[in-house]
Amino acid sequence: MILSDETKRKISQAKERYPRAKSAILPGLHAAHEEHGYLNDEMYKEIAEVLGVKFIEVAEAASFYTLFPKAKRGKYYIQVCRNISCALLGSHHLTRYLLEKTGTKLGETSADGLFTVVEVECLGSCCTAPMMQVNEKYYENLTIEKVDKLLDDWRNAE
Amino acid sequence: MTDFTITVNDQTVPVNKGQTVLQAALNAGIDIPVFCWHPQMDPVGACRICLVEIEKFPKLQVACATVAQEGMVVHTESPKVVKARRGVLEFILAHHPLDCPTCDKGGECDLQNITFKYGLDYSRLKEPKHRYIVDEESTFDDLRIGPEVIRNQNRCIHCYRCTRIVDEVAFEDDLGAYQRGNHTEILPPPGKEIRNLYSGNVVEYCPVGALTNTDWRYKVRVWLTEQTPVVCTLCPDGCNMTLWTYHDKLYRATARPNDAIDKGFLCDIGRYGYQYMTSSDRLKKPMVRKEGELVETSWGEALEYIKTHTDDLKKKLSGSGFFGFIGAGAYNEEIYSFQRFLRRVIGTNNIDYRLNRKRHLDYDKEITDRKLGPDSATYDDIETADTIVVFGSDLHSENPITALRVKRAIRYNGAKLIIINPVPTHLAVRTDAIEAIHKPGTGGVALTAITAAVLDRIKGDPSSHGLAAGDIADFNSKHSDYSGDKAAQLTGIDTTTIDKIADIVSKSESAVILTGAFFGRDPWRDSLLVAATNLRKAFKRCLLVTMPDESNVFGAEWLGALPNRLPGQIGFEGKGRFEDAWRGPLTDMVGKDTIGILEAINEDEIECGFVLQSDPVRKFPDGGYARSVMEKLKLLVVIDSFMTDTARIADVILPLAPFAESEGTRTNWEGRIQYSARALKPLAESKPACEIIELLSDKLGTAFQQMSPLDVYSEMIGFLPVDAPSNFERLPQAGVQIKANPEQPIGGFSTFQFNPVDSNEEFPFHLVTVNADHHRGTLTKRSESLMNFCSEPYIGLNQDDADKLKLSEGDLVKVESKFGKVVGKTRRLEDLPQGRVVIPDNFSELAANLLMGRKERYDRVKLSKM
Amino acid sequence: MTGATQNKSNARETRVLLEHVGDPNLHKIEHAIELGAYKAWEKVLKEVKREELVQWVKDSGLRGRGGAGFPTGVKWGFVPVNSPKPKYLCCNADESEPGTCKDRVLMENDPHTVIEGCMIAAFAIDCHTAFFYVRGEYDLSMRRIKKAIEEAYEKGFLGKNIMGTGYDLDLVLHRGGGAYICGEETALLSSLEGEKGLSRLKPPFPAIEGLYACPTVVNNVETVSNLPRIVLKGAAWYAGMGTEKSKGTRLFSVSGHVKKPGNYEIELGMTLRDLVYGLAGGILDDKPLKCIIPGGSSTPVLMPDQLDTPLDFESVAAAGSMLGSGGVIVMQEDTCIVWVAEILAHFYMHESCGKCTPCRQGTGWLYEILHRIENGQGKMEDLDTLLDLADNIEGNTICALGDAAAVPVISTLKHFKDEYIYHIEHKKCKHNNDFRLLPK
Repeated sequence: MILSDETKRKISQAKERYPRAKSAILPGLHAAHEEHGYLNDEMYKEIAEVLGVKFIEVAEAASFYTLFPKAKRGKYYIQVCRNISCALLGSHHLTRYLLEKTGTKLGETSADGLFTVVEVECLGSCCTAPMMQVNEKYYENLTIEKVDKLLDDWRNAE
Repeated sequence: MTDFTITVNDQTVPVNKGQTVLQAALNAGIDIPVFCWHPQMDPVGACRICLVEIEKFPKLQVACATVAQEGMVVHTESPKVVKARRGVLEFILAHHPLDCPTCDKGGECDLQNITFKYGLDYSRLKEPKHRYIVDEESTFDDLRIGPEVIRNQNRCIHCYRCTRIVDEVAFEDDLGAYQRGNHTEILPPPGKEIRNLYSGNVVEYCPVGALTNTDWRYKVRVWLTEQTPVVCTLCPDGCNMTLWTYHDKLYRATARPNDAIDKGFLCDIGRYGYQYMTSSDRLKKPMVRKEGELVETSWGEALEYIKTHTDDLKKKLSGSGFFGFIGAGAYNEEIYSFQRFLRRVIGTNNIDYRLNRKRHLDYDKEITDRKLGPDSATYDDIETADTIVVFGSDLHSENPITALRVKRAIRYNGAKLIIINPVPTHLAVRTDAIEAIHKPGTGGVALTAITAAVLDRIKGDPSSHGLAAGDIADFNSKHSDYSGDKAAQLTGIDTTTIDKIADIVSKSESAVILTGAFFGRDPWRDSLLVAATNLRKAFKRCLLVTMPDESNVFGAEWLGALPNRLPGQIGFEGKGRFEDAWRGPLTDMVGKDTIGILEAINEDEIECGFVLQSDPVRKFPDGGYARSVMEKLKLLVVIDSFMTDTARIADVILPLAPFAESEGTRTNWEGRIQYSARALKPLAESKPACEIIELLSDKLGTAFQQMSPLDVYSEMIGFLPVDAPSNFERLPQAGVQIKANPEQPIGGFSTFQFNPVDSNEEFPFHLVTVNADHHRGTLTKRSESLMNFCSEPYIGLNQDDADKLKLSEGDLVKVESKFGKVVGKTRRLEDLPQGRVVIPDNFSELAANLLMGRKERYDRVKLSKM
Repeated sequence: MTGATQNKSNARETRVLLEHVGDPNLHKIEHAIELGAYKAWEKVLKEVKREELVQWVKDSGLRGRGGAGFPTGVKWGFVPVNSPKPKYLCCNADESEPGTCKDRVLMENDPHTVIEGCMIAAFAIDCHTAFFYVRGEYDLSMRRIKKAIEEAYEKGFLGKNIMGTGYDLDLVLHRGGGAYICGEETALLSSLEGEKGLSRLKPPFPAIEGLYACPTVVNNVETVSNLPRIVLKGAAWYAGMGTEKSKGTRLFSVSGHVKKPGNYEIELGMTLRDLVYGLAGGILDDKPLKCIIPGGSSTPVLMPDQLDTPLDFESVAAAGSMLGSGGVIVMQEDTCIVWVAEILAHFYMHESCGKCTPCRQGTGWLYEILHRIENGQGKMEDLDTLLDLADNIEGNTICALGDAAAVPVISTLKHFKDEYIYHIEHKKCKHNNDFRLLPK
């Protein structure tokens, strides 16, 4: 049993909200992800059991979407928007700078386990570009100074 | 008969309402290329190769999913269409490896053929092709994803036929498409394999070489082969297959789509089962017993041996001292000529095909009173039924293609499925079935309880179900012990389940009851039949199909492989017709059935027998008895392709050519007679059954001058109530159907008599024989491919029972009964109820029939850890 | 020509949807009610017949704000309301079109108007279970909508027998999993059913066979947000704004090289010049304008000489582009157009669901060629190939994602072929588009 009772309860509650249990696969994946920060086959299996759907249905769905990673990531999962509005305002510099400051390569987690920097597609923050999403939270209108401060704050918080 | 017309490439094309442009065009002989479309699945419009131009539509449309509308003007090869199609092909080919020289699909690849047609001879792709690398060391990116299936993702064109076959057709869940976009990958679920019973279809219908199987891979190029149309012999479904041969060697079997039967799908057992014919242990020469040993000999000597001994015995005994057993897997012609040989040449009616009966059953009563035997039902009756009751049958393993048609009824007709069995079966998975598992021996009570609950629901208007008011009261008065709580107590099925089933049954407009081996092998199946017939009458409209447990049982019953019936189900009062045809007198002394024959041998009343393609020692439900009795025979002639357990005690063995080395007709469970052609020459000195029987007849003094199956067929077919051509090669692919018991029985109910099962403390477990995964009968163990799915027998029991006996998976366990013992490996089963032991009857090395007693109501065993 | 001197403008916003946006307490129900939230819902339930409501919205001229611009009332009219099957409303809050962030503003700031709009739309099709499909990444939007729904239940605006009228309605928040394609209505329905977000063939159209094979309407966030005001102020009031065929106001997300990027609400028909040079303050550093993508990344670029195009459906179409999702992306003169096309191609490749061939294979191929040209490895024949591949995608796919991927390629090649050629000939860009991280 990898999912907590609380998570399973959330999943079975989600099931009640839909006319068909299968619709609760995404809520189930979100709940498991919230608990663990990643997903694995065992979690798929348990979600399928709670919902009474097939394991393969959960596995296929999970593989399609970007929000259900199968590996653990840094404590601060930094997602820099690479799409057009942000790119026009230098998001590629932002990425390069973040990689430099965290000492990582794209997608890699820093040795201290704190940071993983990735580039993602448009996050709908185009008028406040450049921006990044760190875990769930948006950081907008970024500058080098702002990024420095954020990184310092996060490091200091440890 | 069509509804309207459309115009396709200036040709007027008739359309039935609801047809797609593609279907209408294909029916009119206009070819539109397809990859993702399959006639038996819903269109998905994914591949886009079938784009056509339809006037007044701004964009090109996919022909596969566009419903034809009256007056549509369609162009299938206009410049715009050809450009788009070439575009689609270029996209598909962009990252396709073009490894045709090492691809098994070469020569029958839709991608090759369509590319050839549209003449795409270049690619503008400058980037390296994407590869799904399986092994960095290898340039071959093949990944085994199941016992038979191998995937090469590079070749995949993402038509999703495979995943749709698994999901929509087979209702299975062991293949999916993962990731998205151009990373989409076909795989089983994480940690699993594709091993469902229909897995071969994903290979057959892969339009490219992305999915291949070990059966066919790297063995022969397809264009060198010859194809022969045959009918599968491994179950009574009667699926049509093509056998592929090269230099007189078999290479594979594929579907030969027959819309009336298989809809173009095969189960793996049929697809890979043919391999038994290529097995190295085939019998190649006749053998005779000399000084206690079986030694190879010539045909002449073997026939002479038979003649000498038969003549001697004939002097001593009349025809009643002889018998014949025939396996119901043989061709109609073989069955017919075998029984003719016994009746006319030997002079006996001691003939039977029913080797797994423990008890004499009154066949006359079965066929006349109770309308046993197929109801002239067809597959289409199943597919159009709103309710399907599967009773006493593991339909999934016994009749895999019938099971697919049940699934079609569920998918396309919203049919409700009710399963009533002593053990859980796979058919219940994903079919939303109500599965009622009853205690062994109480299936009839379960049906009676359902019938009572249905009658309670319809008592206000019994005439709507063809019943008189008094019928219900009459039924209730006779069956009060087998309904409600009393029935629940007896069967272990709760009343809620019975009520749910009764709700469905009472509302059904059109139903089918299918019974199978649990039913057919029950010694008290006559009482089960009463219960099933009563339930049938409680339906508004219902057909009852007693599924036979061998492939040509219908043929055996209609062609005289019974002690009390001549061909055409004709009784001895009609023997004159046969005496004329066979030019000689026939005895009208009713013959003995299997158990009667064995008892008569034991009493020394019978001393000589002929056994054709049949293994009573292995099959009779008292294996020890069958062997000891048959060992007493003065002359036992076995005609078979393999050294069976019965052949081992024979005096003469004649090597039989199996079905692909002969030809003839077969009769499936619907009563449909179909032709199966010869694909190969008989191996070595083996001969087809008709020829062997003619040689025997000739040797014993009564030649029929009918060496070939066609000769036999043209005589035989005259005794059957069908309108069939005189040459079997001219039979239509859908065959001709023998009609039996077509009407719904009218009138009141019969009285069900329950034979209670005693508890037995010494032998606490009920023995149930089943089919191992991907096996049926005893021939499939000679198929390498099928052995890849399940390679050895096992002894299955509930995991809690296993815990009590301290049995872990694979532990050796001894199973004992009053009659014998066997030893095998433990398999712990989650779903099996406690108190049951299941043993597959597909492996000689673990012969469950040794545990059975021919006089036992149910077979009880005890278990102990070795 | 297109320099800073042209930036004089008296352009003004018409804040209908954004009326109260900026009020920090707007997302709280008590405050929202004070400002008029749920009045329209009460009126609809207590005073308005379903047919009347549909007619009002038809009369208002409201057209879908998600991208296609289909008249909302007409879309509702396709639903067979007498069908015995349940009817479903799905609010499409899966805003993901690059350059577009307007729905987010509404959800984060004025969630009660958004869900009130959903309720009204649900009523219009006799729906009793509605779904709110919010983009998985939109964390704050999701939380605000979730809270708003909870508050609405507490206040009795949702649930059984709402305000004693006998009408039942549940609104279920459904969080997406991260897939642009789920903004496409059939893919959204697949996703809502728990499947992969694969788009589906039409017909059957969702209005006939949508969610769970039942009649379904999918409406965009901004679209439904207009409904409470149309109900309260009348169709004529709404139709009084905008142009003859493009009624009302619209939110435009102006991003890229402008001085004052942001979401602006204007009456349809304002010129692109007024929006970009007036409201958004003109081009950053007063550089010359290169081109503008007017309706999200899937729409063809407009050139500086088209700045006077009025922003209404018809005029923008006549200018060769589309209003789309209202994402106005502004690029100054030294932006490398090949690089822009490459970024967009990467996006479509990443977001293709993979169901149909031209999109699955074509999007990646376009990207690979553009990537190669951008990196100095281009060949002259690549330009023909790009156009031909785009042509082979466009119109031949199941859903519009394929077309969307083809558009930037076709459009940029049409206007900036010389730049592509320069790239190929010189193996580098003629612009210094090494944009600094801004603002300072």
